[in-house]
Amino acid sequence: MTAKITVRGLRHEYVNPFTRERVTALDGVDLEVEDGEFLTVVGPSGCGKTTLLGILAGLVPATRGTVLLGARPVTGPGPDRGVVFQEFAILPWRTVERNIAHGLEIQGVPRAERAATVARFVELVGLRGFETKYPHELSGGMKQRVAVARTLAANPEVMLMDEPFASVDAQTRITLQEELNAIALATRKTILLVTHNVDEAVFLGDRCCVLSRRPGRVKTLVPVKIPRERRTWQLLTSDPSFAATKEQVLRLVREEVGAGDTA
Amino acid sequence: MGWRAALATWAALLGGVLAAWSLAAATLPMPAYVLPPPTAVLEALVDLARKGILPTYVGESLRRIVQAALVAVAVGVPAGVLLGMSRRAAEFSYPLLSFFQSVSGIAWLPLMLIWFGFGERTILIAVNYTVLFPVVFNALLGVRSVPQIYVNALRTLGASRWRIAWAVLLPGALPSIATGVRLGLAYGWRALIAAEMLVGANGLGFMIFSAQPFHLTARIMLGMGIIGVLWTLLDYFFLRPLEDATIARWGLVQR
Amino acid sequence: MRAGVRGVLPFAVLVLAWAALARSGWLPPVFLPPPAEVARTAGEMLADGSLWAHVGASLGRVALGLAVSVPLAVTAGVFVGLNRRLAPVLEPIAGFFNSLSGIAWLPLAITWFGLGWLSVTFILFNTIFFLVFFNTLVGVRTVPRILEQAVRTLGGRRRHLILQVLIPGALPSIVTGIRLGVGFGWRALIAAEMIATTTGLGYLIYDAANFHRTDTILVGIIAIGTLWLATDRLLLIPVERWTVERWGLVSRTGV
Ligand SMILES: Nc1ncnc2c1ncn2[C@@H]1O[C@H](COP(=O)(O)OP(=O)(O)OP(=O)(O)O)[C@@H](O)[C@H]1O
Ligand SMILES: [Mg+2]
Repeated sequence: MTAKITVRGLRHEYVNPFTRERVTALDGVDLEVEDGEFLTVVGPSGCGKTTLLGILAGLVPATRGTVLLGARPVTGPGPDRGVVFQEFAILPWRTVERNIAHGLEIQGVPRAERAATVARFVELVGLRGFETKYPHELSGGMKQRVAVARTLAANPEVMLMDEPFASVDAQTRITLQEELNAIALATRKTILLVTHNVDEAVFLGDRCCVLSRRPGRVKTLVPVKIPRERRTWQLLTSDPSFAATKEQVLRLVREEVGAGDTA
Repeated sequence: MGWRAALATWAALLGGVLAAWSLAAATLPMPAYVLPPPTAVLEALVDLARKGILPTYVGESLRRIVQAALVAVAVGVPAGVLLGMSRRAAEFSYPLLSFFQSVSGIAWLPLMLIWFGFGERTILIAVNYTVLFPVVFNALLGVRSVPQIYVNALRTLGASRWRIAWAVLLPGALPSIATGVRLGLAYGWRALIAAEMLVGANGLGFMIFSAQPFHLTARIMLGMGIIGVLWTLLDYFFLRPLEDATIARWGLVQR
Repeated sequence: MRAGVRGVLPFAVLVLAWAALARSGWLPPVFLPPPAEVARTAGEMLADGSLWAHVGASLGRVALGLAVSVPLAVTAGVFVGLNRRLAPVLEPIAGFFNSLSGIAWLPLAITWFGLGWLSVTFILFNTIFFLVFFNTLVGVRTVPRILEQAVRTLGGRRRHLILQVLIPGALPSIVTGIRLGVGFGWRALIAAEMIATTTGLGYLIYDAANFHRTDTILVGIIAIGTLWLATDRLLLIPVERWTVERWGLVSRTGV
């Protein structure tokens, strides 16, 4: 196995521009994500998950440490790493299909090819019939699908997702998780997904990475034994090994949530 | 960027502009009246303040705009709310109000000169007109955009028309009214300057306009500076807080 | 159809009331000529082309002012908005020039450019430029940073950010700025034309006042109101509908 993403000795400090106060968000993060792996990241609130993702995306410069994509160091954002933001971040002035096509447009893909790719991903995320709608005409779950399809259509080597399903209802969340699992299997992409939700982390991940409380570092990597091909919510709720893994991750996260701190 | 850096940039910019202005005034081959140096503006300030002209003129302009604001609030708000209370009245008056709002008071000035003569009365009427219409118009719009459910909710409690107006329509329309007052006064302040130029015998508009034929450019620049500063202060300490507060507290109107 | 009737009916009532008032003999005709006479004057002025000339002069100035200042202001607003150090410094300065915009520049304009179209156009330019610049700047600064980041992760460069994120994101503000610019611009133009030129609707009505031609004044006022409503309905509202409303955004105001 080759490492797709390598993180070594990562540290990040935020500096308040007014008071010059420093907050260390991450300190000493070491992590390897394998090619084609689905890695989920959990940890207490404020431990630096979003910061880690931002650094991997190249949107936040690390204070110290290195991030490699394959063998290349990450220096800024690029189309090789697609990001799905927690806030959707799709453009209100583009229709569904033009949002999904955006990455291809920037890459200069010819119109006909673009249309074919967009049609495929519209189908894949179940948005047929909504191609010419504007984001404000969609539900939260549909917007999230647009965001996922936009990232997939640009065909990045790696997908980085920050709590993508945090703001959708429980039923939609389950549907989207199953869809994401299927898409991940079909495209064989390397995915790193940050979440608050331990169920989600264990359901989706090949491995589940538990971060310590701030300043965040990798506490434990928990492998999930059940092959991703077999995972459906129905099956897993009755699977004892799934329940055991969940318990284990939950315990690890709880240890990090100090008294009076709510995660 | 911290406020310290912002302040430093600000000071540097201001210093730079003043220096460039002084340099240009000193070196450019133009008559002095085209671009007097900053010091000349300062001298004009001291001179006019000492003679008592400046306080008088500022006072006159402020008196007129404050009077127009009071009339607009006392008359315009109730009128707009009343018209807005009835769907028929609102539909009837909407096109008229939007027409009269769009013709500024200054456009009526020639007619008002004939009707009311060349003097203070005409200035006041032109300014009052300019401030009043945006206020009435926005009060009406504000009342009409209060969601019907609030009205119905009070109706089911047996509230009278007037109680509904007082308890629901007026507070619901306040953000829109505040916007109307701010826009009306912004138009009115400019109409006042124009009216003082055309008809006035005092006030800031008269001050800058009467200085022009005598090439007292420093006096013009001083007057412009005061006009800008006065409006900025009025807007920053009074109108904007009013608008923000009503939107924050009563922001139930979909805008 | 019904909406059309509803829009015309209030004006019909207004004209009837005006006719009744003029006929009652309560006011001398030189104060308020009957509508028929105003219509006759309008007909004559249309036939001999004089009304067209004045309308053309005013409209041409507004069009020129818009064509020059809007592209400049939007470009400047976007580039200053991109600069995190400069933007917070220039924003209050632009706000100050806004509060000064309009007729207050006229004496200085006359000093610099003399009487004539250059002075008038300078004032229009000033008024529209600063309003659009200020609103573009504020608009760019309030586009959610996350949208920029999203496009950068798709491989977007500065050009994509500007054209596909910042300008559309700032459009609600830009449209508001243009609307305010046209509103303030028209008003300033009318006042400036009264003083500084011998063409245009402002000149037409102010000159008519010297000869007590109330009929000509009313023709001018009606033309001013109609032109403004037409610009708003035919140009500004459709633009807003096609962009801001279709995207589910809300227009933001800012004087
Ligand atoms: N822009 C910033 N400036 C200063 N401090 C920041 C900034 N962003 C985050 N922080 C701080 O850094 C720490 C890590 O933040 P981060 O957003 O990465 O946490 P997180 O794990 O994603 O939290 P959550 O689960 O609540 O989303 C937090 O303590 C936060 O207060
Ligand atoms: Mg986070």
